[in-house]
Amino acid sequence: MMQAVTTTTDIPDAAPKPSSEEAVRWLQAISAERSRDAFERLYGQFAPKLKSYMIRQGADPATADDLAQETMVQVWRKAEQYDPAKAAPAAWIYRVARNLQIDRLRRRKLHEVELTAEADRPDEGPGGHERADERPDADRLRELVDTLPDDQLDVVRLAFFEGLSHSEIGQRLCIPLGTVKSRMRLAFGKLRAAMGEQL
Amino acid sequence: MTINHHPDDATIMAQAAGVLGEGFSLVVAAHMERCPRCLERLAEAEALGGELLAELPAAEMAGAGLGDVWQRIHEAPAAEPPKLRRPSSSDGLPAVLTPYLDGGLASVRWRSLVPGIRQHVLHGIDSGRGSVRLLGIAPGITIPHHTHGGGEMTLILKGSYVDEIGRFQAGDLADLDPSVHHQPVADTGEDCICLIATDERLRFSGMFSRMLQPLIGI
Ligand SMILES: [Zn+2]
Repeated sequence: MMQAVTTTTDIPDAAPKPSSEEAVRWLQAISAERSRDAFERLYGQFAPKLKSYMIRQGADPATADDLAQETMVQVWRKAEQYDPAKAAPAAWIYRVARNLQIDRLRRRKLHEVELTAEADRPDEGPGGHERADERPDADRLRELVDTLPDDQLDVVRLAFFEGLSHSEIGQRLCIPLGTVKSRMRLAFGKLRAAMGEQL
Repeated sequence: MTINHHPDDATIMAQAAGVLGEGFSLVVAAHMERCPRCLERLAEAEALGGELLAELPAAEMAGAGLGDVWQRIHEAPAAEPPKLRRPSSSDGLPAVLTPYLDGGLASVRWRSLVPGIRQHVLHGIDSGRGSVRLLGIAPGITIPHHTHGGGEMTLILKGSYVDEIGRFQAGDLADLDPSVHHQPVADTGEDCICLIATDERLRFSGMFSRMLQPLIGI
């Protein structure tokens, strides 16, 4: 396995991340210029997936259309809060959709740290240019998801897509809560390893 | 502040998936305000959420999808003002708690349960059969031996305690399984103040504790 080398990102044949990098530019164009063109491209890429996500969360097709649209409305409105150093576009849009879905479908609240705040990370001092590298690497993630064993992918999908808590997943799969948690931990550990973190 | 105890990775995954109960998510967010390690892990788990979203098959949007979106944007063009960071109160209360404790820790109206143990229940948080509460434990006082019907998550806001698992100081989060059996003791000269979320009622195991339970109501 290749380790992440401390190097610049402009090596010509470094694996490009076309869709992710493109979506970063679209979000930045929406934020900086209110670009309708960029928004429509982003919509084309994400809205049908957002609808799919909402259906998996239990929305009927009409509600899923509504929530996918509403997610995109919020993406337009909140685009200036997007920070490419902290999240891939898909991860940021996922958070918008997740929070909307929890509010509208589950009618409860998910408390979270406000990531727009200045103070969420300790100041790393000079060398702040490296912050762009903090964003989890989407390409490695894609490879990872393909290699997760089914039993781990199942518990991950039941949580992220069907909105089941760990104990609900245990009931659904007829496995103990401790097994659900250990599969989650294993999947997460592989994810972190794939992204080059130290375990 | 050195933080030694963090939420379980499975809990961080649940937070990213949005399936953590409201009370637990409040305690986890309060911990993460001061814990870059966990914020980074959460970002990784949310990146997984983004990747799973990106891999979903496309569902065809109804006819006027994009047109409807533009209409919504034009009908209510006022952008939401970016959320202002709520000031963290000077007594170390995490910002995410200020809507529930607006005067900070200093103005909490405590209720004494038994000598040495006081509590304050936070209202307006959907916790099912559980609750979110502040507990103040005087030095040397022990919380009776108990297990949990569901999970229990405890964030230390001030002081410290010791139990069978270890020593927990300000910023530490104890993320306990239903199977864990523990008996915390406040172990310094100052009161230990913790934020505790449960999703089921606690079960006290000793005879004295069971008699105490109706009194404490946790
Ligand atoms: Zn932590």
